[in-house]
Amino acid sequence: MLSFLSFLLCNALIACAFAGSDYHERLLLRPLPQSTLLASFNFRSNESSVTYEQQNFRLFPRSLGQILQHAHTKELHLRFSVGRWDAENWGQRPWYGAREGSNGVELWAWIEANTEDEAFSRWLTLVNNLSGLFCASLNFIDATKTIRPVISFDPEGDHASTSNLHLLHGTLPHEVVCTENLTPFLKLLPCKGKAGISSLLDGHKLFDAAFQTMALDVRPVCETPGENCIVEMEQTVDMVLDIARSKRPRDNPIPRPLPIEEIECDTSKPYNAPDTCYPLDKRTEPAWNLTEVFGKSLKGACPLTATEGPESETLCINTPPERTIQVNTTGQYTESLSASDTLRCYKLPTGAEFDLVLPEQRMTTGLVRGEPHLYAARSINGHGQERGSVQVVIKNPSTTDPVEFAYLESLPWFMKPYLHTIRVNVPTSTEDPLKETYYRPAVDRVRGTHLELRLVVPPASTLTLTYDFEKAILRYTEYPPDANRGFDAPPAVIRILGPFQSADRKGLYLRTTPLLLSLPTPDFSMPYNVIILTSTVMALGFGNIFNLLVRRLVGADEVPEVAGGLKGIVQGKIQWLMGLFGKHQKSE
Amino acid sequence: MSQTTPPREPTNMSRSATEARKQPPPESPQSIWLRRAVMASFWAVAVFIGLPIWWKTTAIYRADLPLQDMTAWANAKVCKPVFPLRIAVVDAPLPPHDAHHLLRTTQYALDDLNDFSTHHLRLTLREMPASAPANASQQVVVDGVGEPADDGTVALYVRLIPVETGPTPRSQLQPYSATLDVYYSPNQMPSPSSTSSLLATYIARELHGIYAEERAQLAYLLSRAAGSHAAESSSLSPEVAAQLQRQSARAFKYAPTYHLTFSLFTPTSTPSAWDIEAALRQYMHPILESFASITNFTIDTQVQLYASFSPSIRQPEYDADAKAWTIHKEDLSGFINAAEWPLSPSIGKGPTINFALYIPDRDQSPLFVQGSRDNTWLVPQWGGVMILNPPPDQMASATLTKEALAPAMQAFSTQLNALLGLPQTPASLPLRISTLTRVHTASLIFSASSTLGALAQVYQKMPSIPVPDSVAQSVNQSLTHLQQACDCLRDGRFQAALENARVADGEAEKAFFERSMVGQVYFPDEHKVAVYLPLLGPVAVPLVMAALKEVKSLVAALKGR
Repeated sequence: MLSFLSFLLCNALIACAFAGSDYHERLLLRPLPQSTLLASFNFRSNESSVTYEQQNFRLFPRSLGQILQHAHTKELHLRFSVGRWDAENWGQRPWYGAREGSNGVELWAWIEANTEDEAFSRWLTLVNNLSGLFCASLNFIDATKTIRPVISFDPEGDHASTSNLHLLHGTLPHEVVCTENLTPFLKLLPCKGKAGISSLLDGHKLFDAAFQTMALDVRPVCETPGENCIVEMEQTVDMVLDIARSKRPRDNPIPRPLPIEEIECDTSKPYNAPDTCYPLDKRTEPAWNLTEVFGKSLKGACPLTATEGPESETLCINTPPERTIQVNTTGQYTESLSASDTLRCYKLPTGAEFDLVLPEQRMTTGLVRGEPHLYAARSINGHGQERGSVQVVIKNPSTTDPVEFAYLESLPWFMKPYLHTIRVNVPTSTEDPLKETYYRPAVDRVRGTHLELRLVVPPASTLTLTYDFEKAILRYTEYPPDANRGFDAPPAVIRILGPFQSADRKGLYLRTTPLLLSLPTPDFSMPYNVIILTSTVMALGFGNIFNLLVRRLVGADEVPEVAGGLKGIVQGKIQWLMGLFGKHQKSE
Repeated sequence: MSQTTPPREPTNMSRSATEARKQPPPESPQSIWLRRAVMASFWAVAVFIGLPIWWKTTAIYRADLPLQDMTAWANAKVCKPVFPLRIAVVDAPLPPHDAHHLLRTTQYALDDLNDFSTHHLRLTLREMPASAPANASQQVVVDGVGEPADDGTVALYVRLIPVETGPTPRSQLQPYSATLDVYYSPNQMPSPSSTSSLLATYIARELHGIYAEERAQLAYLLSRAAGSHAAESSSLSPEVAAQLQRQSARAFKYAPTYHLTFSLFTPTSTPSAWDIEAALRQYMHPILESFASITNFTIDTQVQLYASFSPSIRQPEYDADAKAWTIHKEDLSGFINAAEWPLSPSIGKGPTINFALYIPDRDQSPLFVQGSRDNTWLVPQWGGVMILNPPPDQMASATLTKEALAPAMQAFSTQLNALLGLPQTPASLPLRISTLTRVHTASLIFSASSTLGALAQVYQKMPSIPVPDSVAQSVNQSLTHLQQACDCLRDGRFQAALENARVADGEAEKAFFERSMVGQVYFPDEHKVAVYLPLLGPVAVPLVMAALKEVKSLVAALKGR
């Protein structure tokens, strides 16, 4: 538990630090079970709101700042994620879900506008411009993928007036996040991945991770209401690396078995040959160092970060105190221990490479992981091409506290839920767990379904939410190029409303995985078949009527036997051939 | 006709060949005619209704464009741009008769000097207020506020100031107002009988000289535009033409708004801040304000650290003689690392002018361009670049002060003038800006005309591209505004002419780059026929066969008769 506490403390420390330099960065490393390693990068750049309005950009990137000003966006949240956070094994999410997305791209923003229509047109401007900036298909967020959530999101920043702010939310679950999104993301940083902890970020390792998420959050922060405001841009990258997989060299990535001498064999079993072995599970923590795991070396501190104080310690590692950590650098560094020695922080040297080396070690104290507030799993049930149902299972692990949460579902228009089939079932309680429902039905090809529920799950129990839906049949041109793969339904967003509260205004969230929805897929050569079939039917009809009108009808015995016509020609030819054949036979 | 004498001969012959078979009764003439009428009506429906409907419904929509007008504008047959400049002689402390006489003689001298009919200077006289005594006007001149109110059509004011001392006549162009002060001694006034005088010739020559560069620019523009003006351009010498071509290749096309982006690049982490706001206020804002009458500016700035050279250029080399690092002149074109440096255009309408200030690494300082100590250069139609070696005492500081930025700002303002196409003469800034107005107007009119001409050509040469109604609307708008611009030019209202020309050019571009016309996959007529062949084929075969058969029998009947 100690380790977990320190972990909380570390995050709180990052969140609280404000004063001093305008640029902060921190990397928190945390070994997870099964030889995995969580790396949480956090970068914050501040710009005073006066210079921001004047477009004199220093630490805030000009490209993003101009987009936000052009689209009148006051607060922006953008997530790029790949993979699933394995809460059963890895425990609590690193930012309590406030900075982690689920598969694909998610974007929500508070836009200043007088009317809803104006807000939506500015939203389109925003997504189109961001699409160009991040090389992502964000421009595909249109009216059918945009919703206006009611209870799931609150602004994180200090806004002078919230009356003319509009919250819009869009998701692209099918978007494949890759290196081309990381490169512009790094370019937004003042040190650009050339110095500081961002020099560790490498596309090959990041997108090879078991789970990775990149987040961009822009919000205004005021010391006192309306005064001394700054615009804060926070960028976070979280990745869960499999240490063994990451250590494989890039030019030789095929996993190979260890030589038998290095494998610990189960000696209680009988062996019939010396080269056989029942391998034992390793009880030791694996050896690793930064350069090996990240594929790049850490090139010292970014000179823009604070030079003293806790802000200057930009690299932290959260391990039990007994874990041996060696530092490998030629420059000046300082190490500090905090939170009962489970958190070690380093002030990096400027201009010199820095490496942490952790040898293989047998540990007596295990890793303690934080328990998530809720576990959530969502799946599609049912069969056939016409109907299906969605089942969400939410488990409250706490034995004492009921958990209240908001459940947000944004469904594409071609997945039509039946609201009357919503069943919320908690076996251990008779009280109705469904407190509130916000529902905006879909309109075909115009907008998607927006479903928001406020639910309570009692302690130590499991809530099951199910509803049925109907699958629509799309038009021929509405199918994507890989129509048979199916369609992705966006992940559900779960926000914990109580009794747990986050230390800051970011909120506690978790997200389910997206769903793969298979719709009836037509045969795509259909239009040509239709043309040909219709034409044939029309031609048949026409030919019959025309012939009836034009032909002369005579008695069957009155038909003149002419040598002309196709039949006559063919018969004549056959007779001639037979005659020829007969002659040959005779001559032989 | 055959109905009176049906053919008997062939029937007899066939009967003799196959005696046993029964013959169908001869067809009645009515049924033959009925059959023919049925076929004719089928054919009529197919040819006169079916085919046209099919063709019409599957045809692409092409709006009607005023092709003749468009081509006429492109060939410069509609409007011959003229630039009548009104020059007002004000505050002349002369009796009206003398003043008129001076004006007349000066106008004669001017007309003699001018060999470029498009550009024409017209002198007028502004009567001074009757109540003001002669010496009071002198007072006004000293104050420098003697600018009379006007309707905005006067290009230049000439003030005649009699003096006793100093060489006369002499003149001075006020640098910040469109006023030419001419000093003369009273005895230089032309006598009423003479048709020329020293003063008149002098004023005429001065005025002619002031507008020399404008005339050259306009002549160059006219020579580049197609049409009948080519003959007039012969007055330009090749050197002047080359110089003007360089200038116009550098300058941005006119836009109502320009975005200025000032970027600080450094390969290390210092300096990470600059006092750009104060520097811009001091060095840039005055220039931008003077342009306010014709164009608007937005300014944004950024600081970019760790900006490395592009790998395609050679790294700087140390020159031991000069004790400095040098980069090769031929590498300057690749100096801007477009792939890495975030110099994306600003959002919003209008082009972006980039100004990049590069602070070299301390290990590679001072850095110079090979063969010159001038570290600035201009990238045509993109912006300006300067390598700034900060003074040694500021080398290590994280912030660049306003003083350190002064040389860069001065270089950038010079470059801005060149990028906006501001002429180098005359010395008066308002005059140069009004020259720019006229040159821009002319070039916009030519560019809009040639765009319309090109659109007309595309329309005629590619019959298979669709032309929506919006294109026709834009073309009509463009033509209207072109005509208005031309009228305004003739009236000397250059500001309105520029406005109209800009709208015309914008509409012409909009029509030419209409999305549904550009980048569309065209379906040729063969494709259309191929898609409908499954219908057309089976329908056509019985129609054609029946028609052939009928024609055959008709021919046989005619032969048999």
